[in-house]
Amino acid sequence: MVNWSVSDAHSSLQMVRVWDLPTRLFHWLLVLSVFTALLTGFLAPEWWLGLHLTAGYAIVLLLVFRFVWGIFGTEYARLSNMANATRGIWNYVRGLALLRPPHYFGHNPAGVFMIFGFLAVFVVLVVTGLMIEGGEEKQGPLAGVTTYALGHRAKEVHEVLALLVLLMIGIHIAGVSVESWLQGVNLVRGMIDGLMPRPWGYHIPTPRRARPLAAGSVILVLAIATGGALYALSTLPPLGIPPMAENATYRAECGACHWSFHPSLLPRSSWEQLLAKLDEHFGEDASLPADKKNEIARYLAAYSGESWDTEAANRFRLVSASDPMQITKTSYWVAKHRQIDPKLFQSAAVKSSSNCTACHKDADTGRFDDQRIEVPKASGP
Amino acid sequence: MNKSHKIALISLLSLSNVSMVLPAAADPARDAILATLAEEAKKADPAFGGFSAERGQAFFAAKHTGGKPDTPSCTSCHSQDPTAAGETRAGKRIEPLAVSKNPSRFTKVDEVNKWFGRNCNSVLGRECTAVEKGDFIIYLSGK
Repeated sequence: MVNWSVSDAHSSLQMVRVWDLPTRLFHWLLVLSVFTALLTGFLAPEWWLGLHLTAGYAIVLLLVFRFVWGIFGTEYARLSNMANATRGIWNYVRGLALLRPPHYFGHNPAGVFMIFGFLAVFVVLVVTGLMIEGGEEKQGPLAGVTTYALGHRAKEVHEVLALLVLLMIGIHIAGVSVESWLQGVNLVRGMIDGLMPRPWGYHIPTPRRARPLAAGSVILVLAIATGGALYALSTLPPLGIPPMAENATYRAECGACHWSFHPSLLPRSSWEQLLAKLDEHFGEDASLPADKKNEIARYLAAYSGESWDTEAANRFRLVSASDPMQITKTSYWVAKHRQIDPKLFQSAAVKSSSNCTACHKDADTGRFDDQRIEVPKASGP
Repeated sequence: MNKSHKIALISLLSLSNVSMVLPAAADPARDAILATLAEEAKKADPAFGGFSAERGQAFFAAKHTGGKPDTPSCTSCHSQDPTAAGETRAGKRIEPLAVSKNPSRFTKVDEVNKWFGRNCNSVLGRECTAVEKGDFIIYLSGK
């Protein structure tokens, strides 16, 4: 860290490599991954979850690399170098206030705070992301150990932090622009070619060299250890997805007229009310002989929403007060299908909003994975 | 059972078959269902003179009242053409009612009772009479 005046910063200055190639690659791959994650998280429809997860896992790998490289990388990639740079923050703020900010070779203190902020936020984002994936979606390494409730709470944090990241990216870009202008140095280009001008007469203290072998070994050990642990976790059966035997009577009797709804999609009380009034069944008489009705009642009671911890079971347990037997009247169902053209439900491909399997290819399992949604094209009715 | 009894029974059975409109695909189980319905019809009205495919067709195509508003007719779900597949209000395919297209129609007592029980209530708001059921089966057996 050194000060020099703006007027000195001219072509005569020697350009020196500050950011090593792995650090630069990390930066731009992180930009790509975060951009993908933000775009898919905020704007893309549900069935893009797969790409969102891919971006998230890429960020996990990039973070692991960056922390290891922060120990074994070249001088300016090291966390200790960055930590040292933070000491200049008050000096920097004072200078900035007078529009005469000090100039830095390597990190500027405000930039370092932003980097640490980004790293911290990304760590929490990927952890909460894994918790949502495991708890709400019952996918990924944490599916066997995370409840829906926990995943849902993680989602609230995840969403707030994602907004914070947007804000931080704005500040980061503004900071880089202002700093480039004040210093007369293109900092964006520096993150591409890794070069920074060396101030006149400034002697660079011998920088620490990278130890790629050490970095590689640590990454390998970490990869094996965490990979093994995550693999072991992912072999656990998902929490709240009990093994359920098919009931032929239910399939045949209820499935004769409509999709045989997965038992997890309504709470026990709703199934009971529904079976008690089969002669008034959504505008038709669907009476059953007592033996069949009792068998179906036992089956539905055993596997009703209370027995599951899936997103669908958790959401549809909160039935509509006026229509407790109608899944499509729950506020969750309505909110989730608001973007769908109502005509699609009458189309030949779907026929009815009760026909979940038309779009949710795994509806028979009760899972309703976002990635298994395939909305058909609306053709004629 | 002696020989003369046997002959008498066989001739009675064959007579009862001839007395009905000839079904496209005669099936002993369906004939038994029809026989039971005929017995019931005779009990209700001693002047009962057999089932009629024409009456059955009219009953099938008619718009009824008294049932549930979404299902005023058999054709609401079974389509106008009984040789074609129908569709439930929830969009499930219903196999054709016509016996020529679907030979297992009206051969299982429990199924026949279940669907007449439900659908007569949905369409007419009451139970169907034995004559209505028999006419219906005879009509669709010839379809």
